[in-house]
Amino acid sequence: MSDETKPAPRRIYRWDLDKTYLQTEFDTLRQLVRTALQRANEKKAVPGAAALIRELKASPDVRLCIVSGSPTQMRKVLMEKLKLDGVEFDELVLKDNLRNLVRGRFKALRGQVGYKLPVLLESRARAPADAEEVLFGDDAEADAFVYSLYADMVARRVSEPVVYRVLEAAEVYSDDIERVIQVWHSIPQADPVRRIFINLDRLTPPAYFAKYGPRVVPIFNYFQAALVLMGDKFLTAPQVLKVMIELVQTAGYNLLTLSNSFQDLLRRGLPMGAVAEALVEALKGPGGMFQAVRPVPDIIAAFSKRVASLGSEPAPPKARDIDYLSLLDDARPRTHKARRRS
Amino acid sequence: MSQARPVTIAFDVMGADHGAAEVVRGAAQLTLDSPNIHALLVGDRAQIDEALATIRHNAERVAVHHTSEWVAMHEKPAAALDDKPQASVLLAAKLVKEGEADAMVSAGNTGAGVLACAKSFTLIPGVRRAALATVYPTAVGRGEKNDPFSLILDVGATVDASAADLVAFAVMGTAYARIISRNKDPSVALLSNGTEAQKGPPRVVEAHEKLKGMAGLRFIGNIEGVDIPKGTADVVVCDGFVGNVCLKMLEGVSETVMELAKYAYKEKLLWRAALAMLSGGIERIKEVTDWEQYGGAPILGFNRLFIKAHGRSKARAITNAGKVAAKAVGNDLAMTIEKLLPGRGSS
Repeated sequence: MSDETKPAPRRIYRWDLDKTYLQTEFDTLRQLVRTALQRANEKKAVPGAAALIRELKASPDVRLCIVSGSPTQMRKVLMEKLKLDGVEFDELVLKDNLRNLVRGRFKALRGQVGYKLPVLLESRARAPADAEEVLFGDDAEADAFVYSLYADMVARRVSEPVVYRVLEAAEVYSDDIERVIQVWHSIPQADPVRRIFINLDRLTPPAYFAKYGPRVVPIFNYFQAALVLMGDKFLTAPQVLKVMIELVQTAGYNLLTLSNSFQDLLRRGLPMGAVAEALVEALKGPGGMFQAVRPVPDIIAAFSKRVASLGSEPAPPKARDIDYLSLLDDARPRTHKARRRS
Repeated sequence: MSQARPVTIAFDVMGADHGAAEVVRGAAQLTLDSPNIHALLVGDRAQIDEALATIRHNAERVAVHHTSEWVAMHEKPAAALDDKPQASVLLAAKLVKEGEADAMVSAGNTGAGVLACAKSFTLIPGVRRAALATVYPTAVGRGEKNDPFSLILDVGATVDASAADLVAFAVMGTAYARIISRNKDPSVALLSNGTEAQKGPPRVVEAHEKLKGMAGLRFIGNIEGVDIPKGTADVVVCDGFVGNVCLKMLEGVSETVMELAKYAYKEKLLWRAALAMLSGGIERIKEVTDWEQYGGAPILGFNRLFIKAHGRSKARAITNAGKVAAKAVGNDLAMTIEKLLPGRGSS
């Protein structure tokens, strides 16, 4: 379907690539070089990511926008990789680090906020005002910070002086700051961001992200993201089961790891009651494909046990305003050394 | 993700000296270190979640089983377990029995742990009484890892062991040393008041006679208390009364030596200088004889394994207790013991 014939997007899914969609290691120079030289068929997607995107993209009124810190020189290989995985995207924005280098903008080489924030805002400016958004990032860089700031800027929950101070603290160049403010003012006020998923590539403790409120959901795998999105009515039970099947068939996931992942969300207070019921119904219904993974009663029993063993229902996480000025450390560019330390 | 057979270890999170958070920390580290080991944390959910939320772990390999009851260190085991049917240690044992986990680790009340096992697990065919085993640092390295630890059992589970019990303990100790210390042919000795075969109470003399002709074991005869720290035997067998007295005395000697060193350090400049010069060597001895690498004492004889971690265990000891338990499960310790028992298997 060409862009002209596509219906206006009702939902936009924004994805980062490295450590969110792709299993990438670039904490050392050697890893960085190896990643740059990898061919498309050598790159590995994070288990379940491709299946989740395919299910999210199943509806025609959905857009997939990818914003990655990978250099523009990698566009061809990344496009090939996404094609190999059957992932169709609508936008793929990569970082022009060669241009930054030529212009002597060395801070921009590492900076995340100064790169991603204007790109996100510009993409939002092109989207219908009522389009909802779900964002996917990881715990290696400043994704939780950038995505939350973006969401709160569009919703006008954050003031201009605070945005200025944040951008200055994040070492964003002054012309990029002006670009951010200008685009921001052109965007109609809305509150489109429903969830921000943070793939815990570094296994950062989930509580670290509590300061960003319940909109940010740290995940240990994409089965967890699929479950939460099902609870948010963005996916159906059979679609979640397809993500689960990919994890089982391609990444060695089993009843233990899946039921533990489910219980982890429950313990963090995410509303999984209705999700569990709908999954059981879907498993019991027609569709022999689920039987291929494991006898259905075993799946239901494993998940039921994890629910029962918790006793009472946990309290949901509390909503909170984000104090961006107290989180400036999260916005500053990180050195390779700092990444390795974390 | 590893395709190795997953092993689940049930951790009784409650009742340890350093609190639930320390046990959770140890179990959490296990989920990062060992891709095939899962941790089932049994205890107060609020305390577990509070600890888990702030420490690195892999949630795919962690499950929580909530209970609000547990046995404290000062409580009498039998009465406490009667009063608290949902006590974390009892629940952990029950979950192992039901197959939800493969082995159990606890740093809580030892008596309650042993009793919970006795209530929930069954003894291996041919074993009449369980034994609590512990490692003790010696002067000799053994096995593939040049392990300086010898294994002593029983140190408190069976106070009045018969000759047949002592033979079973020898078998259990051998199997454990083979699997955990990677010592293919561990030497086994009976602890007595003399090295001669006829020395000791009748049950020891009778056990000596039985062990002497037994295939599958490298029985080297009797040893005396003085031989334990020398490392004369890899596995030292005794009844729970003798073993416990012996262990406490060895611990006491070790503490006294430390006190004397402290005294010497304060008393004279020359002694202080001498101790400072030896500090590198002392550190090395500490590393080599670090009991935390074993994590705890196994209760042997049941069809399921229980590792009793020291009450004051820190996270590292808990992690290692989990690893030792998983290793024993992966190598089918119970089956190995059963096969080695007289009249049971090949060997």
